[in-house]
Amino acid sequence: MTRSGSPSGPGSGSPSLVLELRDVTVPGRGADRLAGVSLQLRAGERVALLGASGAGKSTLLAVANGLLQPSGGELFWEGAPPARSQRLRQRQRARIGTLWQDLRLIEELSVQQNLNAARLAEWGWPRALRNLLQPLETAANAAALRQVDLDPALLPQSVTALSGGQRQRLAIARLLRQQPTLLLADEPLAHLDPRLAAELLTLLLRQATAPRALLLSLHRPDLVSGFDRVLALRAGRLVLDAPPAALDAALIQSLYGAESMPALAEPR
Amino acid sequence: MTPLAPAQHPWSQRRPAAPLLILLPALVLLPLAAVLPAVVHGGGWELIGQFAFAAITPSGDPVLLASALRGLGVTVAVALLGWAVSLALGLVGGVLSSRTVWRTMAGRVWPAGALRRLLAIPRSIHELLWGLLLLQLVGLQPAVAVLAIAIPYAALVARVVSDLLDALPTAPLEALRAAGAAAPAALLTALGPALLPGVFSYGGYRLECALRSATLLGVFGLGGLGTELRLTLQSLQFHELWTCLWLLLAVMLLLEGLVRLLRRRWGMPGRFGLAAGAVGSRGRELLLATLALLPVLLLLALALGVNPAALLVVQALPPFHPDWPAVLALPWGAMVASTLLLTLLAAALAVGVAPLLLLLVAPWPWGRLLLQGLWALGRLWPPPLTALLLLFVLKPGLITAALALAFHNLGVLGRLLLEAADAAGGGAEAALRCAGCGPRLALFYGRFSGLSRSYLAYGAYRADVILRETVVVGLVGAAGLGTLLLEALSSFAVDQLLALVAVYAALTLLGEDLSDRVRHRLLAA
Repeated sequence: MTRSGSPSGPGSGSPSLVLELRDVTVPGRGADRLAGVSLQLRAGERVALLGASGAGKSTLLAVANGLLQPSGGELFWEGAPPARSQRLRQRQRARIGTLWQDLRLIEELSVQQNLNAARLAEWGWPRALRNLLQPLETAANAAALRQVDLDPALLPQSVTALSGGQRQRLAIARLLRQQPTLLLADEPLAHLDPRLAAELLTLLLRQATAPRALLLSLHRPDLVSGFDRVLALRAGRLVLDAPPAALDAALIQSLYGAESMPALAEPR
Repeated sequence: MTPLAPAQHPWSQRRPAAPLLILLPALVLLPLAAVLPAVVHGGGWELIGQFAFAAITPSGDPVLLASALRGLGVTVAVALLGWAVSLALGLVGGVLSSRTVWRTMAGRVWPAGALRRLLAIPRSIHELLWGLLLLQLVGLQPAVAVLAIAIPYAALVARVVSDLLDALPTAPLEALRAAGAAAPAALLTALGPALLPGVFSYGGYRLECALRSATLLGVFGLGGLGTELRLTLQSLQFHELWTCLWLLLAVMLLLEGLVRLLRRRWGMPGRFGLAAGAVGSRGRELLLATLALLPVLLLLALALGVNPAALLVVQALPPFHPDWPAVLALPWGAMVASTLLLTLLAAALAVGVAPLLLLLVAPWPWGRLLLQGLWALGRLWPPPLTALLLLFVLKPGLITAALALAFHNLGVLGRLLLEAADAAGGGAEAALRCAGCGPRLALFYGRFSGLSRSYLAYGAYRADVILRETVVVGLVGAAGLGTLLLEALSSFAVDQLLALVAVYAALTLLGEDLSDRVRHRLLAA
């Protein structure tokens, strides 16, 4: 894997680049879903991604995790462009963990098997099959559950037996089992009650320490205080890259319009 | 810390997990690989090669084309007429054998149960057997093939309709009755609209089946393209055979595409409940389409020369002198055992190989297309013809018959699995791919997990169909009941024939019951 693609690779002094987008464009019907977006994310950084519905947050995350191929621009993971070889590319993607809004747990499997599913990129078929027959790596899975404040006694249970909050935590624990350097989260706090949202946000921010970086899209400007930077998208364009303190009511109003009003009303 | 749910259902550590479950039937490949070398005689590989090569060089002879098109027309007409009659009769039978209908109309349910048991008999006998029995009774005429399809299909439709009716929520019906509505009006209003999508979806599936059955009946001399297929195969005219096959394939894919389109357009449920659909939203369009079909069917019946009155003229039958001791002395145990073994082998192969091939081949660049082609050929090719083809290189017997049955059912199951995989959405699979997982493992964990139980439940139903189909491979000496049945038919041994049909029917009903239980257990889990 070459690291010559990015000018800010290791050795430049500052923490290494985990993700870089240069002038990325994704076409849409009519207007572009992303138009010339450039950004950098360094190890240890925790970045919030704001924007109204349809502004391009999910598209940006889909580009960042390799699900969507941009029509223009460049993408670098840890300083290297996506590899052409499928095997190498899989290795690159194994270092990117995504927390999906719908969690995407495998409902028919146990908690233990779901956690181990995060290791499939590293495992071959024999181990993947064994995971379906007997408990594997129980100690590591128990540790991951403890990190997200879940009891390891849940390991043999079916995912369907978990409560909503437990499922959210399990999805984060699965991310931790993957051991990614880049954490992407697509509106993980949507549809959660305020208390659970705050708990999960704290949990995610706690995990994002160097060499890991976090890029989290959210809909609530009142929750950005714990982040290092805030990015904001409007109509597919990056219109803000600043510390959270720079976010004021006027800026929020310009980003969201009427949509922002409920969020502003909530205490910070 | 989040409160713990009580420790319960550590099922995942005791039972095979869902993705493994779907591949378990494929284990049958291991014993099969061990016995296959003993079955191969290897004499006809050259013929197999010629057959395969002819696929890309079909004959363009205008005389053959005209004859094949005529045969295809007959096959399609027989299929459409048999299907339409079965749907009409099945709807009536289904309503009459519904417990809900009887409870609402007469306050008792036992007549529904009695009629259901009665309808189980025509259902248990394969359409080929109906065809051959009717042929003996009323002689060769176009209506025989139509009726051979209509009788068992009507009983199958009736069962599905009554099941659907009895599974519908009865609260709206009770509300209407409580408001003073008459029983028939309340039934029609409360259950009719909810029943329609299910009925039409199943009807579409039966139409696809009817085309395959009409082809099969032709293979056994009841007219249509099947006759051409058999004659060209037996005379080793592979180029001519492929001309017929490509034509049939085109019609089959056209029909399947049309059914899929209508299913989607009219908001009908998917085939094994994976793509939930709403109640049909285009009622008027649906009604007009049904009305437009009526004159088409009438014209087809006229063109085919179907004369229902001729069915009432029974041919002179040979005198009936039953020899029951001789019938009893037949090796029933061995025949039943080999029929069951044939069923299990073919079912396990078909059910197991479809997901295995999907897993192995689908991630290739052209993999899905390749599989779709293979599965279309499987559906297209009637099992007796596959068996005849296999006889070029394999010895006659149970294995050859099982392979022929499995290939045909693989075509049906493979297509269903692919459709279900597409309908199920690939969220978990995409998530695994994004986490660096390889395409096969992502498919295995991410998609097979959700599909396995419903797929295996459908596989259990398919096993029941395969048991009924074992009769059609009797001609390759599968040593089961089917072989003897065909012998009894051709030698007018009516006593043997009656006994064999009765045993076959009993076996099929038992199999149906067993597959129902397996299916319910799988879906309940």
